Amino acid sequence: MDRLATTDDDLNAWVDGQMPAERRASFEQTLARDPALAARVLELQRQNAWLRSALDPVLHEPLPQSLVDAARPPAKRAQSRPWLTAMVASAAMLVVGAVSGWYARDAVLERSGTPTTFARQAALTHALYAADANRPVEVWATEEKRLVTWLTKRLGFPVHAPDLNSAGYALVGGRLVAGNEQPTALFMYENAAKNRLTLQARKQPAGAQETAFRYAIEDGVGVYYWIDDQCGYALSGTLDRTQLLAIGRLVYAQLAVAEATTK
Amino acid sequence: MNGILLTAAPARFAGRIAMNADAPLPHPDLLAAIPRLRRYARVLTGDASRADDLVQETLARGWEKRRLWAAGTDLRAWLFTIMHNVFVNQRAAAVREAQNVSLDGDGESGAAWQLPVRAPQQTHVELIEVLRELSRLPPDQREVLMLAAVEEMRYEEIAAVLSIPVGTVMSRLSRAREKLRRTVNDTAAESVPPLKIVR
Repeated sequence: MDRLATTDDDLNAWVDGQMPAERRASFEQTLARDPALAARVLELQRQNAWLRSALDPVLHEPLPQSLVDAARPPAKRAQSRPWLTAMVASAAMLVVGAVSGWYARDAVLERSGTPTTFARQAALTHALYAADANRPVEVWATEEKRLVTWLTKRLGFPVHAPDLNSAGYALVGGRLVAGNEQPTALFMYENAAKNRLTLQARKQPAGAQETAFRYAIEDGVGVYYWIDDQCGYALSGTLDRTQLLAIGRLVYAQLAVAEATTK
Repeated sequence: MNGILLTAAPARFAGRIAMNADAPLPHPDLLAAIPRLRRYARVLTGDASRADDLVQETLARGWEKRRLWAAGTDLRAWLFTIMHNVFVNQRAAAVREAQNVSLDGDGESGAAWQLPVRAPQQTHVELIEVLRELSRLPPDQREVLMLAAVEEMRYEEIAAVLSIPVGTVMSRLSRAREKLRRTVNDTAAESVPPLKIVR
């Protein structure tokens, strides 16, 4: 290698062990012939060694409990699993609900005093409105802008209606629905076969910790739900899991983009 | 309708989600990454307790954003990226706050920086000296030097972690090393046994 061609980048790459193999041989030849260059390399190696010896002790310090805790999955951190009991309760409610209808659900809820799970609530709401032939939504897609503005105002955070046309689903419209703890925005979609999907969004009640992408089947309705940035989302429909997940991904990606652009 | 409807989601984004729809972060790997995160945070903030706060915030963000981590890729690099972003945001907020109450100073903490570690057993003057010099580097250069020399990350990885071009990584690295070189040379000279060129 030409002495003049040796750059700082070469020195750095050599010292950091990142020089491409094909340059190494010629660099080493230059190094052997050039004491000044060798001295610089030595300095940089010494510098690296000092930095590491000075800072390595941090690696061996005992970890504070707060950090050990922070490394745990958030769901496990929130002690036991109250949702598991809730799920069992929901399964029981399914039977009751199917027989006695909507009011029995309220009665069960009142008796148990436990709020129903987000997924279950989403599935019930989906079943209620998706089956409605004439008035599934309160505001139709022709007034989408007004719909979104209204829901944004009522929910207190920016709501977006994702475009699911690429998956064959067109927006029908939306409405505001009563949630257990929080008002919920509902967007309904429909494909050519009149199959309907709903996307529901709400602000997460304080203390809700589960954030993973989860799937549940409630009353024959599949629900993908997740929490992102303090907001809970549930996509419900009678599709199979794979199809629903594919659309869930589409929704998630679009919301993430929307979130990033509105911030 | 326009502005609200976003049609095409970036394929890269969707792909990552596809891989992680249900997968949590690997807990053992996360735990194993903490000491390195702490060390890096210590150098970024120059303060042990602020450093641990930064690590805690980084882990919390990691869990929040876990679906964005592509399983099988380097978890450590991903966490360093998060930490860099959190740190940059905090610093920007601190600068804004400082301006609001019109404090003097440029917002950069040359003076407030403490030595990140207790002096090691064999208290080398040079080690203290090198840390002092490290603390005097502009944060941009300090970060690059830490990631290259101490964390031994690939330059391309560093570029990704800091969201800068590889060329910028290289120039910051050269400048950082040059500044450190002068001091270290002055202090060191003959007191250290010559290191072999190992390769």
